[in-house]
Amino acid sequence: MTGILPWVILFVPLLAALSITLLTLRHRALSAGLSIGAICVSFVGSLLIWISFDGGSVQYSTPWLSVGGLHVDLGLLLDSLSVTMLLVVTGVGALIHIYSYGYMAEDPGMPRYFAGLSFFTFSMLGVVLSNNFVQLFIFWELVGVSSYLLIGFWYDRPTAADAGKKAFLTNRLGDFGFLLGIILVWTTIGSLNFGEIEATMRANPEIFGSLASIAGLLVFCGALGKSAQFPLHVWLPDAMEGPTPVSALIHAATMVAAGIYMLSRVFFLFNETALLVIAWIGGVTALLAAVIAIQQDDIKRILAYSTLSQLGYMVMAVGVMDPTAGMYHLTTHASFKALLFLGAGAVIHAMHHEQNIWKMGGLRRAMPVTYWMFLIATLAICGVPPFSGFFSKESILAAALEHNAILFGVGAGVAALTAFYMFRLVYAVFIGPPKSNAAEYAHEVPGVMKWPQVLLGVPSLLAGFWGIEHFIGQSFASASAHHAAAWHWQILSPFSHAPLAAFFGLGLIGFGIAAAYAFYGNAVRDPLPDEMGRLSTAIRERLYLDEAYTAMIRYSHEVLALIADWIDRWVISGMLVRGSQWGTDLAGRLLRMAQTGNVQTYALFLVVAVVVVLWFVLKR
Amino acid sequence: MKVSIIGLEISVILLGIALLLVDLWVPARYRKGLGYLAVLGLGVILVSSFSMNASEAHYAFGGMYVLDQLALFFKRFFLLTAIIVLLISIEFSGRIRTGLTEYFSLMLFGLAGMMFAASSHHFALLFVSAELITVTFYVLVSFQRREIPSLEAGVKYLVLSALSSGLLVYGIALVFGAAQTLDFQALSEKAGQLGNDPLFLVGMFFVVAGLGFKIAAFPFHVWAPDVYQGAPIPTTAFLAVGSKAAGFALLMRLFFSAVPDFVVQWDLLLLILAAVTILYGNLCALPQQNLKRLLSYSSIAHAGYLLMGIAALSQSGSSAVLYYLAGYLFAVLAAFAVVTVVSNQVGAEDIASLAGLNRRGPLLAAAMTLAMVSLTGIPPLAGFFGKFLLLKAVLEQGAATTAHTGYYWLAGAAIVGVVISIYYYFGIIRTIFWSKDPEDLSPIPVSLPLRATLCVCLFGMLYLGIFPDYPLDMATEAVRALTF
Repeated sequence: MTGILPWVILFVPLLAALSITLLTLRHRALSAGLSIGAICVSFVGSLLIWISFDGGSVQYSTPWLSVGGLHVDLGLLLDSLSVTMLLVVTGVGALIHIYSYGYMAEDPGMPRYFAGLSFFTFSMLGVVLSNNFVQLFIFWELVGVSSYLLIGFWYDRPTAADAGKKAFLTNRLGDFGFLLGIILVWTTIGSLNFGEIEATMRANPEIFGSLASIAGLLVFCGALGKSAQFPLHVWLPDAMEGPTPVSALIHAATMVAAGIYMLSRVFFLFNETALLVIAWIGGVTALLAAVIAIQQDDIKRILAYSTLSQLGYMVMAVGVMDPTAGMYHLTTHASFKALLFLGAGAVIHAMHHEQNIWKMGGLRRAMPVTYWMFLIATLAICGVPPFSGFFSKESILAAALEHNAILFGVGAGVAALTAFYMFRLVYAVFIGPPKSNAAEYAHEVPGVMKWPQVLLGVPSLLAGFWGIEHFIGQSFASASAHHAAAWHWQILSPFSHAPLAAFFGLGLIGFGIAAAYAFYGNAVRDPLPDEMGRLSTAIRERLYLDEAYTAMIRYSHEVLALIADWIDRWVISGMLVRGSQWGTDLAGRLLRMAQTGNVQTYALFLVVAVVVVLWFVLKR
Repeated sequence: MKVSIIGLEISVILLGIALLLVDLWVPARYRKGLGYLAVLGLGVILVSSFSMNASEAHYAFGGMYVLDQLALFFKRFFLLTAIIVLLISIEFSGRIRTGLTEYFSLMLFGLAGMMFAASSHHFALLFVSAELITVTFYVLVSFQRREIPSLEAGVKYLVLSALSSGLLVYGIALVFGAAQTLDFQALSEKAGQLGNDPLFLVGMFFVVAGLGFKIAAFPFHVWAPDVYQGAPIPTTAFLAVGSKAAGFALLMRLFFSAVPDFVVQWDLLLLILAAVTILYGNLCALPQQNLKRLLSYSSIAHAGYLLMGIAALSQSGSSAVLYYLAGYLFAVLAAFAVVTVVSNQVGAEDIASLAGLNRRGPLLAAAMTLAMVSLTGIPPLAGFFGKFLLLKAVLEQGAATTAHTGYYWLAGAAIVGVVISIYYYFGIIRTIFWSKDPEDLSPIPVSLPLRATLCVCLFGMLYLGIFPDYPLDMATEAVRALTF
């Protein structure tokens, strides 16, 4: 029974995706039902696994392909890491599936949407459950494909189609490095199974020799793309062109977290140098994204940059050798960020697809449930106790303080910025005066969109008391510091464990919220551009990074294209193709002349040929 | 001697005679039915051939005739060819004005000749069976006797074939003069010492030239394009598959049963003939517009590929020849079946008549496309695996030969030939699918038996390409009778 359960969890969403695509594309409700039913089955399965989970690590695998020295299993790995991720992906996923039924109710492409969503769920569960690099990579790419399909769901909008392309190509860039890393690991260690690689590296830590940092960083490239870390972060804000529930599920809660999950999964691969680079990239991403977020006006883009910033935190946590804290933050972030996106989706829905926060306002009265849930999630992301984000963020800051004071400073600064831009959003959208007609006449969303928010509010509020950190810590032998404690002690543990980090962080958060109130408490338009001048413009233009990339690609592309065009036109097409085609054709036409149709000529030819060949035979 | 040893041939000849007799009492409009009767009869004979046991060789006529695995493989091959060709003939019957039954029974007699050829173990039987095939083809080629091209083809075939038969019989006489025997068994014991006897050399070469005419290998191919183009389509198909395979059956017997110790000194000759045949056939096919003429040049090129397997002088080479022939059978007969149906409807035999075939007859288009792809040698079809086996055999032999590098050159020539052939085979596919604005898009009806035939051919091409194990075992088993 337990052996078959993980396979069921994995394949039921695929089954739903296939049957929707092949059979029920014309039946809207049935398609939605299949997809929602599938993920609920997976969620119940995950719950069953979690209940019977004993903290160990189990693998189920069957040989899949064997080519030369390469043996790949189709295998599933269950340990506390993957069980946590299973619960996150299927739990948050199930709520977002249900919410989507309301959000997409009027869209003609709803069955296609649910097929894509189920296919994504299958791919993501495949990433979570893989026990070897090849399988992980395949599902990794499938996740990329389904993300591409869903970002470009409204493919008739050029911006959405372009965003899908941009996301896919940027991810491919990172995945290329990832693949090189996998090949390097395979050639060095001779196995692709995570358990075997870890055992080998434990027995022989110096096996990579001088390539140790390179191997780690190449594998990290995968996370760089998928988790949108600087400098490959540019695709995530554009990915907001997809439907909002997709942004909630894929580009906030699960897929972008796959990079952090992968880093935790193969944490043993990284040496100190690699970890230092990882920590700095995480820190820089967190800071950069938080700075850009304070001057964005599109509600989804603000949340996208905040996602980037939080992902930077998680990567930094891995870099400062505390993957448990990273995974912990991943878990809490999944619930509160999904909740923020669902709230944003509800607002956008109520505002008739208006996304500019300076055209909203006063929605607190019209949409009380959405407002309260959004506020819970905002307090959680800011790290206010006792909300879930407080605990996970504090454990990252504590780990940073232990290893690198500068990174701790960056992390604390980002916490202040987070509080600032999130409360800027809350004031502008919910509390401040209405700034458009639509905002004055907005209504609360229907139940199918309301209740998933309420259900997500529960973990956003309480996840800090559930001992998630201890549960995840079972996967890391070094994480013995994280003890499970009674819940009322858990709220105090950050203060006793790392008091400096906790109080310093809290102070900065308070400062952030106060500043947001000062600037935006009653604002009808953004005062910052006037105060900061050109700096504000630069931030609004996302520090010109997209422009720089575009220019770089354009010029290098142009030169390459010119060279390739010349080679293709003159060498390949002109000399090789046309030349040989012309020569062959001519030979054919000349030889054809020999076939005169005259039987006397034929007989003569035959006799002469026989004589010539006979001479050749006798000569030897 | 037990009569059952030559039971298959006797049954085929009796079937042919029975057709002629039944014809006397059958009204003209039911004569097509006699074709189905012949197909049915051959089907029964083919099935019954599987009850024959040839795991050890049986001899008849004092050792002139041998029944072993190789002979049985070829007999089945010829029976299957004849069944499909007869089905094509029935489709074609509207264009044969008189003597339809004679057309069918002549095919059966030709088939009997091929089956005897598969078993010849003596120069006398070799000559007689070769002549039985040739003489029936004189009539079959010129069967549409009111049409000038058919008659012209018949005359050309008669004249050039007489020349080659002359060479063949002269060669046999010279061999007898040198070796004092015509029996393959006896000859194989002496062949080793006769390597430097000019009389024997000339004799052997004349025999090879005579058989080279049958398989249409360069430079003995001159007759093929005109005859293939002029002859009725089923005759062309029978020539391209049956007659050619009979030539290879005789060639393999001659080389690897009669003179295995002698033929090793001819490796270079065979290599050159194979390479030149491949290049010549493929190059000449390039500018062709008539489908039958194009297929004739392509069949010359395929004779070259098959000669590669002979030139390899090895067991794997010979089994590759058998495998390749099987794939060739399905592809070529599928192509000729399509050409028959299309030319019945359109009244032309050029490539342009295939325009828009994908809309006019999807099954026809699919069969033609896969046939062309298989003839080119692209996976996963039979032609690919056959070419792969031939190249493998040649390269193995190349690795084992230190005297010269000819085998590698042959492999190179074969690959160049394949590349050239892509151009004209895919030209046909392009015409089928992507020709601009075909004028006539009326559907082309395909009769049920021909539908079945095409499906059998498609299945054969795919089966041989995807599951090569069992057929390859059969081929390997068959060539165990030969000596290398």
